[in-house]
Amino acid sequence: MLTLWTRVVQAAFIFLTTESIGVLLDPCGHISPESPVVQLGSNFTAVCVLKEKCMDNFAVNADNIFWKTNHAIVPKEQYTVINRTASSVTFRDVSSLNTQLTCNIYAFGQIEQNVYGITIISGLPPEKPKNLNCIVNEEKNMMCQWDPGRKTYLETNYTLKSEWATEKFADCKAQRDTPNSCTLDYSPVYFVNIEVWVEAENALGNITSDHINFDPIDKVKPNPPHNLSVRSSEELSSILKLAWINPSIKSFLRLKYSIQYRTKDASTWSQIPPEDTSSTRSSFTVQDLKPFTEYVFRIRCMKEDGKGFWSDWSEEASGITYEARPSKEPSFWYKIDPSHTHGYRPVKLIWKTLPPFEANGKILDYEVTLTRWKSHFQNYRVNDTKLTVNLTNDRYIATLTARNLVGRSDASVLTIPACDFRAAHPVMDLKAFPKDNKLWVEWTAPTESVNKYILEWCVLSDKSPCIPDWQQEDGTVHLTYLRGNLMESKCYLITVTPVYADGPGSPESVRAYLKQAAPSKGPTVRTKKVGKNEAVLEWDQLPVDVQNGFIRNYTILYKTAFGNETAVNVDSSHTEYTLSSLTSDTLYMVRMAAYTDEGGMYGPDFTFTTPKFAQGEIEAIVVPVCLAFLLTTLLGVLFCFNKRDLIKKHIWPNVPDPSKSHIAQWSPHTPLRHNFNSKDQMYSDGNFTDVSVVEIEVNDKKPFPEDLKSMDLFKKEKNSTEGHSSGIGGSSCMSSSRPSISSGDENESGQNTLSTVQYSTVVHSGYRHQVPPVQVFSRSESTQPLLDSEERPEDLQLVDNVDSGDGVLPRQQYFKQNCSQHETSQDISHFERPKQVSSVNEEDFVRLKQQQISDHISQSCGSEQMKMFQEISTAAVFGPGTEGEVERFETVEMEAAIDEGMPKSYLPQTVRQGGYVPQ
Amino acid sequence: MAPFFWLPGILSLLLVLHWEHGAGSPTPDKATCTTDHPCPSNLMTQIKNQLEQLNSTANTLFVLYYTAQGEPFPSEVDKLCGGHDLTNFPPFHAEGTEKDKLVELYRIIAYFNISLGNIMEDQKTLNPNDQNLHSKLSSTADTVRGLLNNVLCHLCNEYNMGHVDMSFGPDISGNDIFHKKKLGCQCLFNYKQVIAELTQAF
Repeated sequence: MLTLWTRVVQAAFIFLTTESIGVLLDPCGHISPESPVVQLGSNFTAVCVLKEKCMDNFAVNADNIFWKTNHAIVPKEQYTVINRTASSVTFRDVSSLNTQLTCNIYAFGQIEQNVYGITIISGLPPEKPKNLNCIVNEEKNMMCQWDPGRKTYLETNYTLKSEWATEKFADCKAQRDTPNSCTLDYSPVYFVNIEVWVEAENALGNITSDHINFDPIDKVKPNPPHNLSVRSSEELSSILKLAWINPSIKSFLRLKYSIQYRTKDASTWSQIPPEDTSSTRSSFTVQDLKPFTEYVFRIRCMKEDGKGFWSDWSEEASGITYEARPSKEPSFWYKIDPSHTHGYRPVKLIWKTLPPFEANGKILDYEVTLTRWKSHFQNYRVNDTKLTVNLTNDRYIATLTARNLVGRSDASVLTIPACDFRAAHPVMDLKAFPKDNKLWVEWTAPTESVNKYILEWCVLSDKSPCIPDWQQEDGTVHLTYLRGNLMESKCYLITVTPVYADGPGSPESVRAYLKQAAPSKGPTVRTKKVGKNEAVLEWDQLPVDVQNGFIRNYTILYKTAFGNETAVNVDSSHTEYTLSSLTSDTLYMVRMAAYTDEGGMYGPDFTFTTPKFAQGEIEAIVVPVCLAFLLTTLLGVLFCFNKRDLIKKHIWPNVPDPSKSHIAQWSPHTPLRHNFNSKDQMYSDGNFTDVSVVEIEVNDKKPFPEDLKSMDLFKKEKNSTEGHSSGIGGSSCMSSSRPSISSGDENESGQNTLSTVQYSTVVHSGYRHQVPPVQVFSRSESTQPLLDSEERPEDLQLVDNVDSGDGVLPRQQYFKQNCSQHETSQDISHFERPKQVSSVNEEDFVRLKQQQISDHISQSCGSEQMKMFQEISTAAVFGPGTEGEVERFETVEMEAAIDEGMPKSYLPQTVRQGGYVPQ
Repeated sequence: MAPFFWLPGILSLLLVLHWEHGAGSPTPDKATCTTDHPCPSNLMTQIKNQLEQLNSTANTLFVLYYTAQGEPFPSEVDKLCGGHDLTNFPPFHAEGTEKDKLVELYRIIAYFNISLGNIMEDQKTLNPNDQNLHSKLSSTADTVRGLLNNVLCHLCNEYNMGHVDMSFGPDISGNDIFHKKKLGCQCLFNYKQVIAELTQAF
């Protein structure tokens, strides 16, 4: 019971639902036409008709209809209300291909409701097919093609129709994706005309192409000949015989052929003349072929009268022509090892294998014949392409022939000249250039008759040796290309040698590149010299391995840290360049590129800094300043010298200390100073107001020339000491060359110091040969105590002894200066020594000695004095143990010793025989 | 040509043959002499070429046929195929006028066309897998139909003849298999001879 009730409810639901859907699916109207197909560019009108029922339900009429195309409302200007239920819309010049057109109403005046919708399909009617043509594939099918014309945008059917005069055949419908062709799946009957045409049809119309009527045999494309075979002939090495099987159509159709052939390695075909193959045949003999060459053939056919189509090409077949005798002699050349041994010279004969088109067969061996004299033969049979023989220094004729199965080549003759042969007559205007990816060599032939030319080439490299390759050219050739595996960016050294009847001529060489490139590396630049405003840059030539071409020029780019870069082009022959107009004391960055015809490459960057001053500029400033200083100093010294008395009077006049002086002996006959008129006259300027005149009569028995000698020696020493005279003498006081001379004199007299009076001047004889009546004592101006000679009479005695030892006292005339250093030194050494020994300590003496060493070092003059002093002071007084200490003293201390220990002027003067003459 | 294209032609021709059975001479029928489009001007050349085409393939077809039938046909071909002329090819008079020769040619080709149709039907059951034989038979039948078209077109255009009276061929239906093979072999043998004569005549 429950089940039954359930089923009733379900049935009721289904019924009600169906009714509802039926109502919903029932449109309120419809559009006419239902499925319009409209031609593009034409006008189209659609009418929407409302149903009465809907009009009542929704309270609408035709005035409430509005149209939409693709959801866009159509302007009301295109509407036309036909009656209460119908409204139309018109579209002019339809351009859209597919348009959704809907008819809509406003239910109850405001609710938009769709009434009906259609799709407007637009397109074009088919055009008349053109250029209909057919091809009949033998025993297969017939395919016809045509030009369908413009695109229709509609589904268009193309139908190929065919018929005989008495019979129609089934239609051939073109595929949707290939509307321009159709293939009949049967082979039409030959020799019966068939009429063919195409019908095109779509929703907007149909059209038929022009009819074509033809015999299918005139449209036939035969099957290609098959089983093509090639056979050679032993009788003729230049022919090959072809044979094939014709297609079956040949049984009732005359054919013509097209035969093509090529060598095995060639890519282009050669054609047998068509007139030779214009008739039906099944074999053909190809002539004028190269011996021992493999040829490839192919063949095709078509109807003899030319109507129809060529068949496809047959499968290729190949054959090799029979061998023939080599058609050309091999290229022949030689190399001589420069090392001679025992009158023989190793000669390497080399030759090239003949190319196949000249070998005309397989080369079995080569025969080399060497002829020294006409009756002297040497024969060699070689399988290789080289032969090394030891030849004498005589002239040889070498011949070479190549042999194959059929015969021998012509002989290649080469003259190997004698050792003393002088090669001459080279080729002229040799040049090499790349063209068409080949390296061409051209030259001007010599005036002499050339048998042949030998071209040799090799790659120039710094890393590997030059391994030459070569080739031979006929004597008439003056332009050829190198037949070798040449590489790009490599420098080739090409040598051309003309070969004459009597031997090779002089070789000529040229360099060339097959293809240049930019250098692999750039030049490394460096400075050779850097000046204040210029810098000389230098670089090395690039190695040939990295040049990759001919270096045409260099480009130098330089700039400062913040300046613009300046470029300079330099010729490739240069390896240095001077950058000028540089700024001093500036850092410059330099880089350099080398350029070939194909580009350049920069080397590493380089920096340098220009100096602040130019070379010699500092010297030009300093030297004049120094010279000026020296000159000023010198002038000052001279001025001081000239004005020394005046200076002395004003600065340190002599003031005798009476308390420290004592008179040993007064001579009533001492002449007054003023008696020395002569000296006053001599020094009238009064410069020598404090000078005592000493006249010493020395009973010198030395001849006068001896004195001259000593003077000469002195002068020599003087010359060597003049440069130092200002050192001590200048510092002592106004020393000059004159005092130096006197010191030189004193040097000599210094040896007699022990016998002379140093502390004062004693005139034994009269001045200028005036004999004084009595002994005259001159008083010393010195403030030095004069007691030594009195207190140490032994010293004086020693002097007397020495004098007596000599026997004769030197008689010389002196102008003694109190401020003379030499004098001072000698005074110290001879008169202060006893006092110093007793009064000064050892250190003082070391200082003194240091001073003398210093003098010895700094002054070459007076070296004898120094030596003597040293001997006396060290050996006699201190002994050898003091030397080590002496060496430890500094120079400053020595100067101090001089200042402290040695009075520089107004030294006490000793009266020779113990008397004083106060001044 | 596909078989379904020439079957209607054969049927219509058979009707003609049945209708005209017993007629002794060709009778032009002007009422039916219409073609769908004009015949080409070189019809006779095409007819000659078609005869040559048929002649060039006749022997091949014959050899292919008796070979395909198996023994004893290959070994006894002369005896089985050429010994008795059971096929009744219409006569041909090479010395007649072109019109007469064309009419006789038409009868011969039409007769052979019917016989060839029967042979093809029998071979479909006797040697269904011998595609080469079927292809050759079909190709020959197509050529024969083309020849009939050309001859009829020429007779119609030149001599205004719509159809030609025909005599029946031998009825080979209902015979046993060997007999069918033998009749077909004899037919092709005679065809080879007749077509050679026709080729020579035109």
